[in-house]
Amino acid sequence: MNALFDQDDFAAWLDGELTPERRAEVEAWLHDHPLDAAKVRLWAADREALRIHLDGVLAEPVPARLSRLVMGASARSDWRRWQAWAAGLAVFVLGGLAGAGLALKSQPAAMPTAAAVALPNAWVQRAALAHKVYVPEVRHAVEVKAQEEHLSRWLTKRLDVPVKLFDLREQGFELVGGRLLPDGAGPGAQLMYQAVVPAVTPTSAADAASGQASPALPKPARVTVYLRKPDAATPAAFSYEQQGPLGMFYWVEGNSAHGAATGYALVGELPRETLLALAEAIHRQGAEAP
Amino acid sequence: MPTVDAPAAFRQQLLNAIPRLRRYARSLVFDANAADDLVQSTLERALSHWHQFDQRRDILLWTVSIAHNAFMDDRRRHARLPMADSFETQAELVPAVGVDVGLRIDLMAALRQLPLDQREPLLLVSLEQMSYAECAEALGIPIGTVMSRVSRGRVALRELLDGKPPRTLRPLRRVV
Repeated sequence: MNALFDQDDFAAWLDGELTPERRAEVEAWLHDHPLDAAKVRLWAADREALRIHLDGVLAEPVPARLSRLVMGASARSDWRRWQAWAAGLAVFVLGGLAGAGLALKSQPAAMPTAAAVALPNAWVQRAALAHKVYVPEVRHAVEVKAQEEHLSRWLTKRLDVPVKLFDLREQGFELVGGRLLPDGAGPGAQLMYQAVVPAVTPTSAADAASGQASPALPKPARVTVYLRKPDAATPAAFSYEQQGPLGMFYWVEGNSAHGAATGYALVGELPRETLLALAEAIHRQGAEAP
Repeated sequence: MPTVDAPAAFRQQLLNAIPRLRRYARSLVFDANAADDLVQSTLERALSHWHQFDQRRDILLWTVSIAHNAFMDDRRRHARLPMADSFETQAELVPAVGVDVGLRIDLMAALRQLPLDQREPLLLVSLEQMSYAECAEALGIPIGTVMSRVSRGRVALRELLDGKPPRTLRPLRRVV
């Protein structure tokens, strides 16, 4: 018998690499040819066994020599930032240990460093909250509309850090405006940006795959940039956090020891990559001389 | 440009890619330490070439292709220096928890006998769930080649697990 399909077709079928028509043809063939079907089932089982075996590596802690290599030891320009971060970490850990000492009871000793760093910063939570409160606003989304100079000067003066109005048009977002907010000890500011064209919903591919129609797009996507003058202990490392649908990049720019630092949190209900592109644009523009 | 240090955001991305890079390296090299050496060289190269990374690309794809090249360089170097230390040492298998040891050793032994040019695409597609196109990009070979190597790899792995001797002789393999 002359087979219509060969090993390559079966493998490509297993890997989901065929066009829908071709896939249907291969499936029909496998349905009628139990020997081929059995072979493909074995391949699938082998693939599963490989995954199960090698997935164990993913759960292993990353060796310190590798994470150290990536996160700092060789970074000269990031060195100060790293120091600030380490100082912040020390405060965290010492605070954690002191806390553990007080709460002598059930808690096992403070989790090691990674957990301490992952502790959500209160100000990042405030940034998320401010995002959730103001983004749905239609008429009063911002306090001062994007009238460049006034907005920037006002926020710069109140925050005592230079507030730049970032140009995110290249990333498809334009400034709506900004507002002043209470932030712990002092004021914070929120800049709001809105997608220029109605954004393609990040989940549309998944919806299409699952056969669901995408919901009608009500509003263009909005992201907010939260700015504040950080306390000395604020970790400076560029971080990402996900809270349900909300993604957040946050970091500290400048040197907080000299009082010239700015804390940033970019918040949005967007895919991580989209947020990252925005965060990097802000990071770039923030680093430029005013 | 190359003298400027990698930005924090890039480092974070790289950090996030380490677990999967380690898994990939382990499937190339098997010995855990040697695999981490390979990951280390890969990270060093990535850090010194960070400005070449296009943020629109997948960092895993990019670093896998760096790891692949590092590994191939190492192999070529040591093909000429037969007894020198290399990533590809024949170390014993490191036991993993929670998996049937018999099956695991059979599987790893079979995998190890698989020619590298089949093993690599097979694992990238099966484990990293790369598409053939992504795999082709990472390894720098045509998609059609990925396709035939993946399927030949599947057939060969199954035959090895069924106890058949390996089909292909590999003249490059060092004898330890």
